[in-house]
Amino acid sequence: MTAHLPRFLPTSLRLSRLVMVAILAVAASPALAQVKIGFQAPLTGFAATDGASAKIAAGMAVDKINAGGGVLGQKVELVTYDDQAKTDEAVFTANKLIGQDGVKFAVSGSYSASGRAAAPIFQQAGVPFISAYGVHPDITRAGNYVFRGVHLGPPQGRAAAKFISDNLHFKRVSIVSMDNDYGQATLEGFKSVLGQFGLQAVGEYSYSLKDRQFGPIVASVKRDNPEVIYITGYFFTGAPLVSQLRSAGIQAPIVGSQAFDAQKLFEIAGTAVEGVYVVDGLNRDRDSAELKEYLAEFQKRAGYSAENVGATVYSAFRLMADAMTRAGSLDPAKVRDALAATKDFPHLAGTLASFNQLREINMPMNVNVVKDGKFQHYAWIDDLKLLAPPTE
Amino acid sequence: MSYYIDLAFTGLVYGCMYAMMAVGLTLVYGLLRILHIAHAAVYAFGAYVAVIVANGTGNIGVGFLAALIAAPLFGMAIYRLLYQPLLEYPPYVAMIASIGLLVFMEDGFRIAFGEQGLTFAHNPYPTRLYDFAGLTVNSVQVAIILCATVCLTLLALFTSRTRIGVGWRATVSDPRIATSFGVDVVKVRYLIFAIGSALAALGGALIGLLNNFVEPTMGFVVSYKALAIIVLGGLGSLRGTLVASLVLGVVESYGTIFIGHFLDRDAIAFLFLIAVLIVRPRGLGGVKAA
Repeated sequence: MTAHLPRFLPTSLRLSRLVMVAILAVAASPALAQVKIGFQAPLTGFAATDGASAKIAAGMAVDKINAGGGVLGQKVELVTYDDQAKTDEAVFTANKLIGQDGVKFAVSGSYSASGRAAAPIFQQAGVPFISAYGVHPDITRAGNYVFRGVHLGPPQGRAAAKFISDNLHFKRVSIVSMDNDYGQATLEGFKSVLGQFGLQAVGEYSYSLKDRQFGPIVASVKRDNPEVIYITGYFFTGAPLVSQLRSAGIQAPIVGSQAFDAQKLFEIAGTAVEGVYVVDGLNRDRDSAELKEYLAEFQKRAGYSAENVGATVYSAFRLMADAMTRAGSLDPAKVRDALAATKDFPHLAGTLASFNQLREINMPMNVNVVKDGKFQHYAWIDDLKLLAPPTE
Repeated sequence: MSYYIDLAFTGLVYGCMYAMMAVGLTLVYGLLRILHIAHAAVYAFGAYVAVIVANGTGNIGVGFLAALIAAPLFGMAIYRLLYQPLLEYPPYVAMIASIGLLVFMEDGFRIAFGEQGLTFAHNPYPTRLYDFAGLTVNSVQVAIILCATVCLTLLALFTSRTRIGVGWRATVSDPRIATSFGVDVVKVRYLIFAIGSALAALGGALIGLLNNFVEPTMGFVVSYKALAIIVLGGLGSLRGTLVASLVLGVVESYGTIFIGHFLDRDAIAFLFLIAVLIVRPRGLGGVKAA
């Protein structure tokens, strides 16, 4: 009897192992009918803060889509890669998504530089691609499969100029801009309409993404003594800059760009950011059930308040799924056409009226003001002609 | 006029911060010929310890004290665990390990304390202002200048007036002879890592306080800036490092305004480095780059 045991035991072990492997394989492998959406986000590196929000929002969108029965009877599967907001990683992971994972649809939850690098690859593979919040103009120029779910830098800049002139009624402005794609594109738009709105630039300064100390700029703005200060940048540059401006006793109103729109702005700068305006910030006060649900759910999953980045990523996924449904097909070419034909889509940031011929959004822009440590709706800039994105 | 004084003052604050960071780097280079890139991780480490303990205890002073205790231990651990086993290899091996540690720590901070960075819960200091004849400065800027002046003066006195300090200098110039005179070379190494790390941590914590923001990548910028400074100062020269730090701070401050439109602040530092090295290949320190 005992002589049998050693031989019998390994066989049964092997068998049970086989069964285990089989079970695991079944559990891990996707169900047959699944539509994969590729997703790139900067999960590590300097942009990891936004990457984390983007990833949470992407997960929420996919869960929401699947909870509603998926797309055309198929569940959506999210395939995520970290692109570190770097061009080389964006190219590498785009190829991986297409070649290895076989995705037919993709969303970028990353910065301009990586979206710009990835776009031609998706274009060439005929994969409809939405850059959720990358603002460099070249992204959509990659071709007719590439869409953008956010206002470009130049319209954001033009809206800021209109806001300063028409809503705040100021003329003399000091401009502080960040010297990356986003900052410069926005600056370009702002400067292009200075004359149109009768604004006068009394000083113009630029800083790098890595700067947190703005002493020389603060000293110069103080000397300029402007009526209003326009700043392009992210919350992690904007918050120290605003607090240093206020520390130097500069009281002029401050108008910031979209990427100020993050909860961390208050934590870093505290009461110094009270009264700061954020052009194209997320309107959290809008009466929309989906927005309210999104804000609550994001807070729950992330542990911090929702901001613009997550909202654009969420909407990009919803839009992609919506286009698939409208196309009635998972054929990328048909989905592309449906995306291009989008009309009045309920984007979390407002109503996305349509895409123009360069697949850029026509959509009104919200302006927030910081009040009592919160972003609150202040004004709509709804002159779609002024906000018109480039067409070529 | 007051505008230019404003700029100079800002430059001085930058310079003092760079000095606190670069001194440790130059000491380690002088002693071991290792480019201690991970010094930047110690700088960020100091800031993290300060902000976490300050928020935990509700007292910023306690946070700083904790940073000043923890950072030397961390610095000595880097020497013991990372550099000592690599001393028999060419210095670039240790340098690569050092870069690895910096990258590892950056992601470590991110994973442990979040991508978004940390802020002091109660930090009145950056907005506490003083007015000196039209020059508005805040209390953290004053603290940075005071800390740098006091610490570096003490360091100078220590190396020139005390027995351990003299032994230390002897070790730097010739470890073998120092050993034969009874100087414990290994002890000197630990001491240098401890002092350098304490200074870097103090610098990091003060910058964290000034910006009210401690982030995983905060060491990265100062890491290569400090490298530029120690090259500028004439590798291994303490005096040269100090001069280079202050000069670079002021150059950056004016440069941001006058050439900042086409060259960012970090590029200015390296342009300046190249310009100086063309004129003085051994750096500003003027001593021989041994």
